Amino acid sequence: MKKRILATLISVAMVASMVVGCGSQAAAPAAAPAAEAPAEEAKEEAAPAEEAAPAEEAAPAEAAGDLTFEIIVKSYQSSYWQAAVTGINQRAGELGVTANCTGPNAESDIADQVNMLNNAINNAPNGIGLAACDQDAVLDSLQAAMDKGIPVVCFDSGVPNAPAGSVVSTVATDNYSAGATAADNLYPALKSRIGNGQVRIGEINQEATSNSIISRGLGFIDKFAELAAADGYTVAVIGNEKYVNDCKAEKADEATADIVIEVAVPAQTTVELCATEASAIMNKSDVIGMFGSNQVAAEGILTANDTLQVLGTSDDTVLAAGFDAGSVIKGAIKAGTMFGAVTQSPLAMGITTIDVLVAAANGESVSDVPTDGYWYNADNMEDASIAPNLYD
Amino acid sequence: MGEVILTMKDIDKSFPGVHALDHVNFEVRKGEVHALMGENGAGKSTLMKVLTGIYTKDSGSIEYEGREIEFKGAREAQDAGVVIVHQELNMLGHLTVAQNIFIGREFKKGIKIDDKKMNEEAAKLFERLHIDIDPTATMSDLTVGKQQMCEIAKAISHDAKVIIFDEPSAALTEAEIEELFKIIRDLREQQLGIVYISHRMDEIKVITDRVTVMRDGGYVGTLITADCTKDDIINMMVGRVIYEDPKTQSMVAKDAPVVLKVEHLNAGRMVQDVSFELRKGEILGFSGLMGAGRTETARAIFGADPKQSGDIYINGEKVEINSPQDAVKNGIGYLSEDRKRFGIVVQKTVAENSTMATMENFMKGLFINKRKERAAAQDYVDQLATKTPSVEQLVVNLSGGNQQKVVIAKWLVRDCDILIFDEPTRGIDVGAKNEIYKLMNRLASEGKSIIMISSEMTEILRMSDRIVVMCEGKKTGEIDISEATQENIMNMATREIG
Amino acid sequence: MKQKSLINRLGGQKFIVLLVVIALFAFFCALSPDFRKVTTFIDILSKSYYLIFMAIGVTFPLITGGVDLSIGTGLICYSLAGGYLIVQKGVPTGVGILVCLLFGILIGFINGWLIAVMDLPAFLATLCTCMITRGLGSICSKSMGICWPQNGTPGGEFRSIFKIVVNRNQYPVGIIWALIVVAIMAFVLNHTKIGRYTFAIGSNKEAAILSGINVKFYHIMSYVISGFFAALAAVAYSAVFTTVQPGTGAGFELEAIGGAIIGGVSATGGAGSIEGTLIGVFVICLLKTGLPFIGLQANWQQIITGLVLIGAVLVDIIKRKKEEAV
Repeated sequence: MKKRILATLISVAMVASMVVGCGSQAAAPAAAPAAEAPAEEAKEEAAPAEEAAPAEEAAPAEAAGDLTFEIIVKSYQSSYWQAAVTGINQRAGELGVTANCTGPNAESDIADQVNMLNNAINNAPNGIGLAACDQDAVLDSLQAAMDKGIPVVCFDSGVPNAPAGSVVSTVATDNYSAGATAADNLYPALKSRIGNGQVRIGEINQEATSNSIISRGLGFIDKFAELAAADGYTVAVIGNEKYVNDCKAEKADEATADIVIEVAVPAQTTVELCATEASAIMNKSDVIGMFGSNQVAAEGILTANDTLQVLGTSDDTVLAAGFDAGSVIKGAIKAGTMFGAVTQSPLAMGITTIDVLVAAANGESVSDVPTDGYWYNADNMEDASIAPNLYD
Repeated sequence: MGEVILTMKDIDKSFPGVHALDHVNFEVRKGEVHALMGENGAGKSTLMKVLTGIYTKDSGSIEYEGREIEFKGAREAQDAGVVIVHQELNMLGHLTVAQNIFIGREFKKGIKIDDKKMNEEAAKLFERLHIDIDPTATMSDLTVGKQQMCEIAKAISHDAKVIIFDEPSAALTEAEIEELFKIIRDLREQQLGIVYISHRMDEIKVITDRVTVMRDGGYVGTLITADCTKDDIINMMVGRVIYEDPKTQSMVAKDAPVVLKVEHLNAGRMVQDVSFELRKGEILGFSGLMGAGRTETARAIFGADPKQSGDIYINGEKVEINSPQDAVKNGIGYLSEDRKRFGIVVQKTVAENSTMATMENFMKGLFINKRKERAAAQDYVDQLATKTPSVEQLVVNLSGGNQQKVVIAKWLVRDCDILIFDEPTRGIDVGAKNEIYKLMNRLASEGKSIIMISSEMTEILRMSDRIVVMCEGKKTGEIDISEATQENIMNMATREIG
Repeated sequence: MKQKSLINRLGGQKFIVLLVVIALFAFFCALSPDFRKVTTFIDILSKSYYLIFMAIGVTFPLITGGVDLSIGTGLICYSLAGGYLIVQKGVPTGVGILVCLLFGILIGFINGWLIAVMDLPAFLATLCTCMITRGLGSICSKSMGICWPQNGTPGGEFRSIFKIVVNRNQYPVGIIWALIVVAIMAFVLNHTKIGRYTFAIGSNKEAAILSGINVKFYHIMSYVISGFFAALAAVAYSAVFTTVQPGTGAGFELEAIGGAIIGGVSATGGAGSIEGTLIGVFVICLLKTGLPFIGLQANWQQIITGLVLIGAVLVDIIKRKKEEAV
């Protein structure tokens, strides 16, 4: 009997603490940051002190020195994000500001990321840099950030429906035009093979939820269809409903179209499942081109090719275009397995993000900063303008 | 009877709060079958556990083959030749017969288990026991009787000198018991010492040479079986005289109303076209051999198994019973033959078990009214004389007879008018049995109607007002108690019809 | 003596499942011309190795009546740990593989200890280690994706354990190893003490204890085997796929357990075979690879795989009910 009472008490206590815990997260954040703030400041003071001249010991080096930013990336899964974080840390070091980078395990861990964002808001930083995994899931948190006056800079992917004023700037590749860049380069190489019977282009997108991936996928489809239509060919788009419904391309009947663009999305964002989807398309005899809209999808295509051995750069092979870099994709392009890829500049994006955050924190007005996507292949990989963007 | 092989002298053993064994003496000679008798809780199992080293004794001595010994566990006792054939079969159902017999001491060829040799050795064992079992058969495919034979074979294979049978006949049919006795006699011929623990008085008379009786942890005495009567033994066990004679006439009035009528019930192979009536205040015995379809009939009536066709009328009205819930709603209670599996929840208290079928009467809004539950349970503990320290006791800690009383209480709390008792006294000792009998008689006299399924002929003859006999899923006879004899029931139970 | 039916004499459920594999194969071949290619076949094999190994391993806990949910995230964790050492710390590939295997054995032992000695329910214990390995994997690799050495680069030779490429001709030699492992483990399960006692624990643990068997040891062993094979699967996974990503792996175990159960391992323990498990895994692999070929979207593939699993478990239950009815 005593035991039972004790157990009841404990569970009541647990529930109570959970309720209180939730409450303090949402409504009374002051307590937590207050406790942490001194520690943070101590760290900051120590950091510049090492770099600065001994004479200036303990004095704040510059105004930016007091600033703390919380940065949340989509994940650490690909080296793309590792490069972005490198850029962020590099610039933060140069300016003597603090940037705390976190991110969920996988880009599909949307709920985890929202939690991280909420925690970041509770830490009351001078600004937040966010690469949102899901453009809708973060809306409430963005409102909360705005209510507290914390400026948010989105990078890599925008949040189109964000509450007005919450996102002060979006630093992102124009994903739609970056996707189109891939089509711009792939179409001419395939042009000679179109028109003699139906041909197929495969597109692997790792998911159908994040704005950046969707934009790239649609950008590729729309541009490819536009170029084909200009030459008088008809295009059918089949596969994942999201992409089929949202693309602007004039949709022809699958049976009669000259070109079929088949879009596949795996159930989870893993290379293994992307590979399964890719091999299903690449096995078809009429396929002439493939496009993978990010590093995971592109690696999926390459994994499928390990067995199928259909990719190459000549006229009797399937031409594959990738996105982003990383050692596997770079190796494949160098080896002539992959035709080429579009790279963004995650490093530059990271640097720009910190610049914009500092500006916003200092009260300057900021606006969106589009960054570019560059096409690269075996020929221009070593060029000085391209090479720095090709992270491992 | 040969020389003494095992002597236990002045064995004393206490558990906290219980003096389990009080200076008990026991001996076994080569080539004898020695019955160890006593009510549940008399200390028989404890004594055997002390012998095989599962418990350590507080004082006393054990002499085996002329040497004082103290085994440190079942394994050591086995190796020395003292083996128990457990009441609850310890079989690995998915393994073959031979694999079971040699489990834990497999023959090996390098790292490979030598199944071929194990099969050969098992076959030799069966030959020695004159029984016909395929060593490569899967254990769960065998009948309970054959499984028991395998347990015996396993015991023998340890080169046993003393074998302890713990209620070996509890789950066996008459024919299987015959076969078991043949084996036991065989072993006696081979000069093994055999300890035979059983509640069945008839068997004791048939198979044993001597009887040692225990009561409440103490030693009462040892008799030569041939020189004593059943009543002598029972008197020693319970210290009181128990009435064990058959009923001579039905206690039910000829014009008592029919409360349950079953017509042309069909449910699978084991229930074919069964029809019968049950009157108010009647105890209707269901007799037959194992596998005659009696339990299946009961389960079909109770809605626990699906039926293909047939009508059930309660108090003249046709009812649809498709699930146990329907049956309970119609006032039918079923006391399963397998208490542990179907009857009780052993890890729950007496009170919780008692009210399990009637939860809704003990609810106060969303909560269980514990006080009311305890009061109701206590009421039946008193009425049924259930031996439990309190209604908060976990059922697992009660003896078989008292567990059965808790199950009965469950259905009485529900106020069922029709009670189906399936083997109500299986595994229950003589004293508790008698109480269950008295209870059933009282229930019947209070106007409850009872169907009693039993494999014990004496029980059928003693309790029933009328007897339905089944064989292989069909009803083969119905007989009033005044005309019933062991012989004519047995005849019907083995009769093939059409 | 009961007359055994033709199907039973041919191996019972195993035989039926083999027919299902053949039927599925024929079905996909008939519906998709692209499926009828050697490359597809090689592709299915390549993607089956890690599942085969996981399923062989988990067959042991399943037969004891338990389960091992930690093998999926465990696989990724072991692979990340081994891969991190190879790629970032420059240890030889062989050492990395060894670390990977030892890691698997360690987690398997912890599972076994929790279940056999501490008496935790298998479901709970391995659910906990599932979460632990998920986090541990990310920590081991500093949350970064890891690429084990590629073919043709130093240390990448281990990839040819599973597939040899000569002049663009591919030889899926992994299946030979898989079959050899299946043969060895089938022997272990049917003809050694470990296997015999695994069945004994699943059949009637109490009886096994009373028979003087060191049940705790053999119970732990079944989880150690499961952990070891999850690590073996990690090597196969790392060899076949490019990047191993932290945070993934959850769900692999369900495919492996599903394969084992389709192949006739009883969901309640006591029965099962390695050959059956192998065939069952191929059902899963065929569905995974084949369904995209007939144009089914990814989410439908999961639904169908789930339905097939329900079917397999139902077959097991119906079979048991029939046996009880006889």
